[in-house]
Amino acid sequence: MDPTSTTAVADLVRRAQKGDEGAQRELILSYQHRVAGFVYAMTGRSDYVEDLCQQVFIKMIRALDGLQAPAQFESWLFRLARNTCIDQLRRQKLRRIFLPFGEEHENIPEPAGAVDTEELDALRHALAQIRPQDRALLALVQEGRSHAEIAEILSTSVAAVKARLHRAREHLREHYQPTHED
Amino acid sequence: MKTEEKAWRALRARASAELPTGFAEGVLRATRGPGPEVWRQMNAIGAAQLRPGFAERVLRAAWALPEKMPTLLAQFTLGAATVAVCVVAVLALHTRSTRLEEERALASWAALAAEASDFDLLQ
Repeated sequence: MDPTSTTAVADLVRRAQKGDEGAQRELILSYQHRVAGFVYAMTGRSDYVEDLCQQVFIKMIRALDGLQAPAQFESWLFRLARNTCIDQLRRQKLRRIFLPFGEEHENIPEPAGAVDTEELDALRHALAQIRPQDRALLALVQEGRSHAEIAEILSTSVAAVKARLHRAREHLREHYQPTHED
Repeated sequence: MKTEEKAWRALRARASAELPTGFAEGVLRATRGPGPEVWRQMNAIGAAQLRPGFAERVLRAAWALPEKMPTLLAQFTLGAATVAVCVVAVLALHTRSTRLEEERALASWAALAAEASDFDLLQ
């Protein structure tokens, strides 16, 4: 059985809500890589990924009881991930205001081998130039979320999502400049 | 070939030599934006950052946390109550010390007035 099919996920969520440790573990294992990819796209920092993913999944376990519709689990999980990343980016911004000399520590370059193609580097650069809200929108689309799901995640209308997505893509394209010197 | 035409050709050749190899490809890529493959690579890098045993660590951390975390409102209320208690304590101390100081001053003035009236009677 595909562990990410809607009915299988809903069943897993119901078991996890009842405190089934195995179901909670399975949920984490099923989504950890997707959430990690989303977090990396949002922050552009590989050293933040594990810590933020841990925060996301701890919040997930603790708030799972409050999830009324287990079928909406994926949207709910990615809303948690989005909010956690945006909170982290806000905290980082505040730290930069209060600790201006700490900035050099905030901008430690990615370790060698982490960015292996110029296009990927260009994408990371372009994502860093746009608003975190737009970044989240683009990352959610890449995650396979539908416009309706994104509208639910962002508590907005589908039309607003389409308009914002169009603008976000435009902004990303403006900053996406891979340089190919073969 | 005319000199002018030759000059134009040289100019064009010089300008095109300035363009890097794969220029057209680069322009097309930038126009199209990042393709799904680049996004996949990005997700793969993110996923590779999780060390083995991630799920176990998350579950341990989640159980280690207290059952009920204080809400932001509860934390704010506690902070406000602490501030209020401190302000009341400072005001009470200030009022008491002012009152004692006034009593002392009044007593010394009363003593001084008594001494002055004794002095007047003597005269």
